[in-house]
Amino acid sequence: MGMSYRRYLNGARIYGCSSCKTHLATIHSMISRAFHGQHGRAYLFDGVVNVIEGEPNDRVMTTGNHTVRDIYCCKCGQTLGWKYDRAYEASQKYKEGKFILERNLLVDVQ
Amino acid sequence: MRLTEPDQESAVSVQLDTQPEAGPSSVAGSSNGYNGSTAKQNGYSNSYTNGHSKASPTDATNGGGRLETQTTSITKVSLPGSTLYDDSYVDREEFVRLIIQSLRDVGYIESAATLEAESGYTMESPEVAEFRRCILDADWARANAALMRLGVADDERLWEAKFLISQQKYLELLEANKITTALHVLRNELAPMNVDPDQLHALSSLMMCSDPEDLRQRAGWDGASGHSRRRLLGNLQRYIPSSVMIPQRRFATLLDQARAYQQSLCLYHNAPSNSRTFSLYTDHLCDKNAFPRVTTAILEVHTDEVWNLEWSHSGNFLASASKDKTAIIWRVEHDKDPSIRDISPQFILRDHPYPVGCVAWSLDDSILLTSAEHFIKLWNTRTGLCVRSLEAHTDVVTALAWLPDGSGFISGGLDRKIILWDADGKQRDSWGQSPIRVTDLTVTPDFTRLVAVGMYDVPASGPGVTATPENGNQSGAGRSAENRVIVYDLLTKQPQLFIPVDGELTSVEVSDDSRYALINRAPEANAPCEIHLWDLESERVARRYLGHKQSKHVIRSCFGGVDGTFVASGSEDAIVYIWHRDTGTLLEALPGHGPGSVNSVAWNPQNERMFASCSDDHTIRIWEAPPTNIMGVPDAEEHSRQAHEADGKGKGKSRERWDGQATGTSYGLGSSSGSTLL
Repeated sequence: MGMSYRRYLNGARIYGCSSCKTHLATIHSMISRAFHGQHGRAYLFDGVVNVIEGEPNDRVMTTGNHTVRDIYCCKCGQTLGWKYDRAYEASQKYKEGKFILERNLLVDVQ
Repeated sequence: MRLTEPDQESAVSVQLDTQPEAGPSSVAGSSNGYNGSTAKQNGYSNSYTNGHSKASPTDATNGGGRLETQTTSITKVSLPGSTLYDDSYVDREEFVRLIIQSLRDVGYIESAATLEAESGYTMESPEVAEFRRCILDADWARANAALMRLGVADDERLWEAKFLISQQKYLELLEANKITTALHVLRNELAPMNVDPDQLHALSSLMMCSDPEDLRQRAGWDGASGHSRRRLLGNLQRYIPSSVMIPQRRFATLLDQARAYQQSLCLYHNAPSNSRTFSLYTDHLCDKNAFPRVTTAILEVHTDEVWNLEWSHSGNFLASASKDKTAIIWRVEHDKDPSIRDISPQFILRDHPYPVGCVAWSLDDSILLTSAEHFIKLWNTRTGLCVRSLEAHTDVVTALAWLPDGSGFISGGLDRKIILWDADGKQRDSWGQSPIRVTDLTVTPDFTRLVAVGMYDVPASGPGVTATPENGNQSGAGRSAENRVIVYDLLTKQPQLFIPVDGELTSVEVSDDSRYALINRAPEANAPCEIHLWDLESERVARRYLGHKQSKHVIRSCFGGVDGTFVASGSEDAIVYIWHRDTGTLLEALPGHGPGSVNSVAWNPQNERMFASCSDDHTIRIWEAPPTNIMGVPDAEEHSRQAHEADGKGKGKSRERWDGQATGTSYGLGSSSGSTLL
């Protein structure tokens, strides 16, 4: 709702949407590179910007059951990854509130 | 008072009805008849001798009783004390002399002479009258002689005054092409006066002027036949005690001051300055009920949020920009009665690949600019066709501003580019990278400066970049970017002024006098959302406006009303807020829009009693004063309030009666407006 401008990040390495180069995250907020998405390698980030979150739904992943939302680029609508709302396994709780961006859907932007 | 005997001979005959004991205010019923032409001359040339010679103390004693005889000579009325009333601080002589001056100014020469005779006060001494006449008749030698007798404080001041006279003489000689004489004046009158060499040099360089027009232009002087002699008199005033020579139109000056003071107390002031709205009989106060605060129309064609608005300069068209990827040109006949007016979309401008963010009318209203992401489009407003599509920006275009001369426009964007375009869309100039990502910009009406507001990039580390969870709009997340106002010199394109401000800046407008910038600031950390009125001259915040809500959306504000007396803004609580600009008092908090933000407001440039607002609720509202035929009652506000509260039906037809307006169910007159409405 309402008009808002996209956020712009500042830092050594900025990841953007591969189709429209909208800023999404910086390397400083990256937590892990050891994830897998639908298109191969994926990164876990502490925070991302300029994404729209979809409806929550439960998915069974290799590390157990999770409630996740797909995230889309706010400019071009490209699906970029997902956000963890809830992890059912206690050992996976650290992912809650964090974001997955698929490496193949990212580009370096400056 | 009327002249009751217009045919009578020119001999001054005044019927006096005086009662000196009761004070001068009781002087009444004087009537005289005269024949205009002879009286005028008579009155003027004899005025002081009349007053002086005939007003003898012996006459004054006659005033003791009631005098009701027709007399051929005017009797001086003797009054006790020296003030206008017993308890007044106004000096009677000063007052009477100003009255005499005013009478003379408008041509009541005979009355002025009579008043001089009756009061014993003269407007000015014969020397002053002589001096004035000499200046206006360009009799410079005698003007100088007269000046000597006018009580100029010291010799140095006298020299300065003489210099001004000689300068006028010099310019008039040049204008009349009497070069030799002018040179003589320069050498023998101006040069010996020991003035600033630069000034003398500037004067002598005027010798080179090709023709009188060139001279007037370069000297900033309007010539012997213009107002220059009067202006000279005004300048000479500084050297002559005002009790000797009363400043020109002094009474009118005082009345103007009274008017300005009354206007400053009139919070709802929205009337042009004329004799109809400012009567001397009463203190001025604008009718609060004439203020635009009811919805007279709801425009419902957009299918998504409406983000921006701008009126055409004619005031007859309104352009709106929407998230639905269209802009609409609405025909709004602002001078027609709301009940018979038909507001309809003139053109729906499609073909935008993205939501439309800005709209901007050219000076002659023939072109409308729109922006959608990095595109700028030029539309012919008569055909509704897209003329050009411009793609010089690489990121969102956030601002479009026409130049005050209409020769082109400037665009600003989040790509840090500021680009100057010709009116037909040819790129004229690019300003290079701005340090800020421009979120809005505007050109000052005096065509000297460009005011841009914007943001810096979010620093990489820390939790600052974490997204807000609920709806994907991250802009509200704690950010520490330094947002700035940059004032550029339009000619050199160089920044003149950087103003660091906390919080994202989403809109900027500049006042008609080019002095103040109105800037919407989103909240940050401990700084609440505010609208700032920046004084660009003193470089400080002159006024803050509080009460509206802005957290993460682009909310815009505008000046409104006669002389930009008001500040209006959208708000995220669906309410339109209006403040008194000079005091910061919140005047109105107008509910009506449905849930979501009121994104922008725009005041009609031709009708000071009309403005428009646009909202996330897909609609645009036109606000005007309650129609008088229905209202006309003193408690109009109560009425409209009840109407608001009684009617929660939601959106209605595209044209509504003032009292049938829809209110958002949960966004009605809550605590925010209840306590703030005046």
